[in-house]
Amino acid sequence: MSTPTATRRRAFTWAPTRTYVQAAVILIWCLLPFYWMIVTAFRDVGYTFDPTPFFTHVTFDNFATVFDESLGNHFARNLLNSLIVAGLTTVISLLVGVFAAYALARLKFRFKEMVLGFVLGASMFPGVALITPLFQLFTNLGWMGSYQALIIPSISFSLPLAVYTLTSFFREMPWELEEAARIDGCTQGQAFRKIILPLAAPATFTTAILTFIGAWNEFLIANQLSSDATKTVTVAIASFAGAQPHQEPYTAVMAAGTVVTIPLVILVLIFQKKIVAGLTAGAVK
Amino acid sequence: MSSSTVSLRQGAPRPAGRRGPRFGAFEPWFYLAPAFIVLIGLLGYPIFQLVNISLYDYRQAQVSGAAPLEFTGLGNYQQLLSDPQFWAVLGNTVLFAGFCVVITILVGGWLAVLATRLRPWVRTLLFVVSMGAWATPAVTGSAVWLFLFDPTLGLVNKTLVALGLHAFDGYSWTYDKWSAFGLVASEVVWCSFPFVMVTVYAGIQAIPTEVIEAARLDGASMGQIARTIMLPMLRPIMMIVIIQSIIWDFKIFSQIYIMTSGGGVAGQNLVINVYSYQQAFAASLYGLGSALGVIMTVILMAVTLVYLRLIKKDGEAL
Repeated sequence: MSTPTATRRRAFTWAPTRTYVQAAVILIWCLLPFYWMIVTAFRDVGYTFDPTPFFTHVTFDNFATVFDESLGNHFARNLLNSLIVAGLTTVISLLVGVFAAYALARLKFRFKEMVLGFVLGASMFPGVALITPLFQLFTNLGWMGSYQALIIPSISFSLPLAVYTLTSFFREMPWELEEAARIDGCTQGQAFRKIILPLAAPATFTTAILTFIGAWNEFLIANQLSSDATKTVTVAIASFAGAQPHQEPYTAVMAAGTVVTIPLVILVLIFQKKIVAGLTAGAVK
Repeated sequence: MSSSTVSLRQGAPRPAGRRGPRFGAFEPWFYLAPAFIVLIGLLGYPIFQLVNISLYDYRQAQVSGAAPLEFTGLGNYQQLLSDPQFWAVLGNTVLFAGFCVVITILVGGWLAVLATRLRPWVRTLLFVVSMGAWATPAVTGSAVWLFLFDPTLGLVNKTLVALGLHAFDGYSWTYDKWSAFGLVASEVVWCSFPFVMVTVYAGIQAIPTEVIEAARLDGASMGQIARTIMLPMLRPIMMIVIIQSIIWDFKIFSQIYIMTSGGGVAGQNLVINVYSYQQAFAASLYGLGSALGVIMTVILMAVTLVYLRLIKKDGEAL
């Protein structure tokens, strides 16, 4: 037991088993709500509370209910609305944010700390404080029930976060390469197109995913400032009508939840590494 | 967690500012202008109006123009500060947010340490599943939680009764104030620990392995390593996730609003955010709701300032 290799070979202990049991408990805690949502979404409404832990009484009726206009559900419209609001919010925030992040990461200037502090402060601003003034303003402008009434507040939440995340990313980029390309005879335009753009694209894409998820999940502002025509999915889920009157439409809500959540989960599945990098970019340098 | 974003703080100096003066001193402001204009327009005006409305007796009649606006100065604030319900709500907010923060940090931090000891594929599974919870809309999460905890027929109560705990037969989790808060907190922790976990994990990965290996060779246990080596080195990151969690959990709205149907039985589960919303839009007391919004903003800005201070003290560029 005195050789260095021998110290690594240990007797059997329960420690690794315990580690895996702990991981399993957490995985179940994370997975069970998803799993139960999907199982219920595909279950006949008469068996809503059936505790059988696998798919039984499988039906697509709940999805039909969700999209059934005659029940007053306009879920297709809601999905489109969410896509428009979250999509435009993401595009505008990124377009504006990239320039600010470039200046903050790359250039030296006075008051930079103050600007960053301002950005950070803005990202922490409570949404509930915006809602009364915006309600009043949009009523006066006749914007209630318009898309801009949802997109404008959404940008005010997402832009500071986008700037902050992009800044953290851009700081880590090897900007010297740009200079090297210029020395090698590239024009500024070429250096930007061939060197900087490919380097910055993944960071920008990651920030776009984070921004989109945030905007897609927004509820507070949309709940108050949307009309029937611009209602987003989160608002729709919170006020769902089921096939059976006088009964909490759990199966329909679970079906709607599945439709809304699964795209995000797929996004996470594919881009997990990038999303984690984006989330930790500000904290770990 | 690509290695490009995770490097040590003592790393190479930033290459910023290499460019010559040919762009002039205004170049940064040229790039910053669009973001500034958008943010000042989108935040500046509402903040101004928020403070403004909070100084008036502003109700439905004033909105529709049926009654004249009456300037009441700090009247709304006086009314709030002398209202026992306001203090109860403030207490609820602090307790609830504090509880969520502590549990989130404990679960997230503990899992981050755990993740370092897992096989890569198990770790990836853990991360993917937790990030799924993180990405789930609060509205959906709340709906699923309510379904699982349905009093008479929910899966959780049925399971507990099947295990012989007959006290949970028909037990309503949202009826009692503290079990309602606990229920909401379990959903909040579920969707917010992943951020803490991945951030702390990235921080642990940035600690040089030689240091930990040396301690291990010297016979330090896992707990000792965590306490005496990792924790001090992780302090800056812990500060960031703690303060971010405080701000996040102070602003919880959707979960309380949905799971306790707008603030619980007789408003027992109101937190400031929901209270402000209810005053403004359920009671049409826009002035009072705005005053609450101002108070909320002041509290959050104070926390943010502490945050900025702490980051600066660590000698870290923001």
